[in-house]
Amino acid sequence: MTTTIERRTGAPATTAAARPRQRVPLTAYLFVLPAVIFLAATVLYPLVYNIDLSFRDVGLKEIVSGGGTWVGLDNYREELGKDEFRSALAISMVYTVLSVGVSFACGLALAVFLNRRFPGRNLMRSLLLIAWVLPTVVSANVWRWMLDGSYGLFNTVLGALGLLEQEVFWLVEPVTALVAVIAATVWSTAPFAMILLLAGLQSIPKTVYEAARIDGAGAWHRFSRITVPMLRPVSLTVLLLLFVTTFKTFDTIYLMTRGGPGDATTILPIHAYLEAFQFFRFGEGAAATTVMLLIPLALSLFYFRSLRREEAA
Amino acid sequence: MRISRARLATALSMVLGIALAGVYVVPVYWMVATSLKQPADIFASPPDLIPSPLTVRAYADSVLNSSGVLRGLANSTIVGVATTLVTLALALPAAYGLARFRLRFVNAFLLLFLVVQMIPAINIALPMFVIFSRLDMVNTYTGLVLANSSLALPLAVTVLRPYFLTVPGEVVEAARVDGCTQWSAFLRVALPVSVPGIVTVAVVSFLGAWGEFVFALALTTRAEMQPVSVVLAGLTNAFGTRWNDVMAVSAVVALPIFLTFLFLQRFVVGGLTAGASKS
Repeated sequence: MTTTIERRTGAPATTAAARPRQRVPLTAYLFVLPAVIFLAATVLYPLVYNIDLSFRDVGLKEIVSGGGTWVGLDNYREELGKDEFRSALAISMVYTVLSVGVSFACGLALAVFLNRRFPGRNLMRSLLLIAWVLPTVVSANVWRWMLDGSYGLFNTVLGALGLLEQEVFWLVEPVTALVAVIAATVWSTAPFAMILLLAGLQSIPKTVYEAARIDGAGAWHRFSRITVPMLRPVSLTVLLLLFVTTFKTFDTIYLMTRGGPGDATTILPIHAYLEAFQFFRFGEGAAATTVMLLIPLALSLFYFRSLRREEAA
Repeated sequence: MRISRARLATALSMVLGIALAGVYVVPVYWMVATSLKQPADIFASPPDLIPSPLTVRAYADSVLNSSGVLRGLANSTIVGVATTLVTLALALPAAYGLARFRLRFVNAFLLLFLVVQMIPAINIALPMFVIFSRLDMVNTYTGLVLANSSLALPLAVTVLRPYFLTVPGEVVEAARVDGCTQWSAFLRVALPVSVPGIVTVAVVSFLGAWGEFVFALALTTRAEMQPVSVVLAGLTNAFGTRWNDVMAVSAVVALPIFLTFLFLQRFVVGGLTAGASKS
């Protein structure tokens, strides 16, 4: 995660380049080898294994006894033809795009806000970071309780403010359930966006603002003409990271709604989980996850390509 | 005029800050407040904003006297500590190697570490369950530690590499001239410099494994092997509306995070933002 940012500004890269060229001893590779082998065994091998699974008919019996007949593209045909899969894909996109958009906007507002000096700033930053690091099991449970229709704090507060005429059962209605899981997601991811954007803001030289001020630029102009363009590279990184992390969300939704009501909040990871672990259709689950992987992969490739183009320019 | 305007801006910042802080404090406060209420008071309407009478009954009932939750806490501690050790053992040499030597494929390695972090957990959890089923490793600590370390390792390398980049090559060379092997130069010269990074990685790896849910859910089917995250998820259904019990367990699960921010904040914030702010 952090390398992208480093690479953008390139500081560590220059230190490495400034180092005198020397022959690399073979033992040097031994330092890196264990970690690479470990990741190959625990990440790459399962990934490849998963692709193999996606071409086989694997149910509960095959899990226990091994094997599984080769069925070619059947699982893919089956999955892509399912209404559940298409609905999960659509809900995934709506959920991810809305969450990322709101989270980025909130993160930017928070970053601009926290870039100012005011009493209690550090305390506030810590509070936000706690929300980011808090296990989702905890925050999802707290959200569920606060959104409870009859005794939840949320309805009470809205009622007291006169904004609510009757109890809203947030997690029981399809639309409000989607809004609720998006809100819970933004609550945890906005601090992450904030911390990266804040670092980006702090890397903008103060002198640029001073110069603009002397030239008579107002606050809005300084924001739109200096902050926004100079924050663009970091913003792209933040958007990509937000998209990738949000797209793979599982805990928040599984714990708040189990994908319901109906399948109103069943995003792709939940759908794939249910296929495999509830209906024991491991082959089809594997096909669903493989298709799902293409989306962040394509986005990352696009990102790295634009990164390289920008570096070349 | 200018001064009063600056003051106004500060005052506005304060007000906005308090409102924002509220958004982040209220859920945490409500969790703790609910956990300290009597069962009957949970259903008070309007709810008591401050619990009265205060009682720690929920903690006694649902944590101390619940073998399931205690075992979950023990499981999570075991898995968290083991994950931290495995991650450090693998990440320290790797980060050092990638920083110290002009290896071929450095960028390929770094890209690998980056891309691995983007894979949805379910993409790995699903085949891992099948693989582990065939190797008889479902419901084992080994399985959970392998899974959690695979999540922690890429981030650990990314956080640690910048620390080793700050060690001047000449210092390591001097140690080599004095008769150190590559390995002992790493252990004696480079490691001491990176202690803050090691603490950061240890804390982040432990907390990651502590709260991890997807692998825990997929790779444990027997109650006695489940980490506390899965136990907590199960409580919500089992207890129905006994929210004071659920919130008490939630607060206990959140405790390591609060303690970390109280005592080790410097390391966590510094570490997680290292790459971003250092450059």
